[in-house]
Amino acid sequence: MLKKNINKLLIGFYLLVFTSFCVSAETIEIDLAYVGEQENSALLGVQQGLYEANLQGQFLGQNYHLDIISPANALDSDYSNYIAVLTAVDLKTFQKMSEQFPGIAVFNLSLEDDILRTTCLPNALHIIPSSSMKADAVAQWHQKKPGSNVTAQAWHGDFVKFAARDLNKRFKKKQGQTMDDDAWAGWAAVKMTSDSVARENISDAKHMLTHLKTNLSFDGQKGSNMNFRETGQLRQLLILVEDGKIVAEAPVRGVARPPTLDSLGLLNCEK
Amino acid sequence: MKQYFLVSACLYALLSQNIFAEPTGRIFITNEKSNTVSVINGETLEVESEIAIGVRPRGIGISPDGTEVYVAVSEENLIAIFDPKTLKILRKFKSGSDPETFAVHPNGNIYISNEDDAKATVYNPKTGELIAEIQVGLEPEGVAISPDGSKVIITSESTNMLHVITVPGNTITDNILVGSRPRAAVFTKDSKTAYATAEITGEIVKIDMENAKIIKRVQLEDPKSKPKDIILSKDEKYIYVAGGRSNSVWLMDADTLEVIKGIPVGKRVWGLAITKDGRRVFTTDGVSSTVSVIDTSTNEVIKTIAVGKFPWGVVIDD
Repeated sequence: MLKKNINKLLIGFYLLVFTSFCVSAETIEIDLAYVGEQENSALLGVQQGLYEANLQGQFLGQNYHLDIISPANALDSDYSNYIAVLTAVDLKTFQKMSEQFPGIAVFNLSLEDDILRTTCLPNALHIIPSSSMKADAVAQWHQKKPGSNVTAQAWHGDFVKFAARDLNKRFKKKQGQTMDDDAWAGWAAVKMTSDSVARENISDAKHMLTHLKTNLSFDGQKGSNMNFRETGQLRQLLILVEDGKIVAEAPVRGVARPPTLDSLGLLNCEK
Repeated sequence: MKQYFLVSACLYALLSQNIFAEPTGRIFITNEKSNTVSVINGETLEVESEIAIGVRPRGIGISPDGTEVYVAVSEENLIAIFDPKTLKILRKFKSGSDPETFAVHPNGNIYISNEDDAKATVYNPKTGELIAEIQVGLEPEGVAISPDGSKVIITSESTNMLHVITVPGNTITDNILVGSRPRAAVFTKDSKTAYATAEITGEIVKIDMENAKIIKRVQLEDPKSKPKDIILSKDEKYIYVAGGRSNSVWLMDADTLEVIKGIPVGKRVWGLAITKDGRRVFTTDGVSSTVSVIDTSTNEVIKTIAVGKFPWGVVIDD
């Protein structure tokens, strides 16, 4: 009688161990939220990023989902299950979101306002370049070619260097239009998040925020490893455009002081 | 009487068929922007000829029996095949979109990375038949095959992974996350270890292929060193890494992955090949339109050869 019961126990034990191994091998589900208008090109970039994250994720047992939230619901949604929030909203909404949801990374995909950078919001990650970064890039170019009518951009559909060609090509193929600044920002925000999940096995919002702010080295397909300033601004090269055509990249070689990405924009928090 | 006849018939057949072709010693270079293959004489190290091959030739490889050279003609979505002796184009076959890099399996099949399609495709180059299609990550590029033919590594640049495919099943059995934009890989002779390069992080990884685990990784110090091709010295004590825009080939210890020396070559060095006797390494210096020849006894460049525009791939018939 006793022997029979012990056998049953043993079988039960083995089953438990076996199923626990099965459970630990299952797919991790990762949720992202986009807050913004559906027509915004930032969403296209986010969706492209999501597609690519899942393409990588299928080989690694990670599955990414995206929820789209309208700006009207930005402040009363529950973000507790998301690993990060990607926003293309107005200045006031962004500032309020940053304040109200401190434990999660709030990506800025569209606002250039310098004040967002100098106030150093602890959970804000600005992918899109600031006005002062753009102004500095133009000023550098003007040292080489004074008076020329250039603008600075985060991205351009004709950019081919640093594997930009590959990104432009596959974005256009899949999304049916040329990638613009906001789309690149949306794509980059998703990719840096999924890269962090893949490499660091981070699955919660708090660790994701810390990792992105302090430990990131991201290939945005426009050059060197990218990371964030203490202001929350993503360091990046800018593209100088005249009459719709690319004329140069900033920092402008031979002119930029210092000759690094830190020659563009505001570096410090307002004390 | 019958026996003698049989033996001499066999001998005749053997000799006339030339089953194992006598190697020409030639070095073949694909010129991406000239749409040609440069033919370099292995003795004189001079360009003997140039073959018009098709639009945007990149990857190049040779059949196991040395009778045919394969070229990936990227813009035409095909593989062109020529005779290394006569330099005549023998045939071409459609290969799936934008073939960039490929490797030749010991069984004669070729494994191609289709950059635009997130796929690797396997073809029998004798018949042009598609053997298998394997879905991999974004922008597959590097292809390396173990000498024992049991494993194939495909690097997917934008998903930052090495996919390990097991042959003959032709399915992915392992996926290894590496640094940013992995470009190329190489196996040791015993097929148990592999090395790979990651361009953006300037990283070299050493992988235990039996367990599909990274056992060592280093980052090259030069920020301009975007490593691409990687090959082993004949004694497997050293690795040579094409250092892209650092315009150097990095000589490294295969065990510790320490950099021993940077060998200055031409501009934007991507392609590497080593002779069977291990004495010479040939590089393709894309932006200078040259091939540099490194003497491995001194690890210095002994000659720089002008070839077509933007030389990309290199293969040696020896």
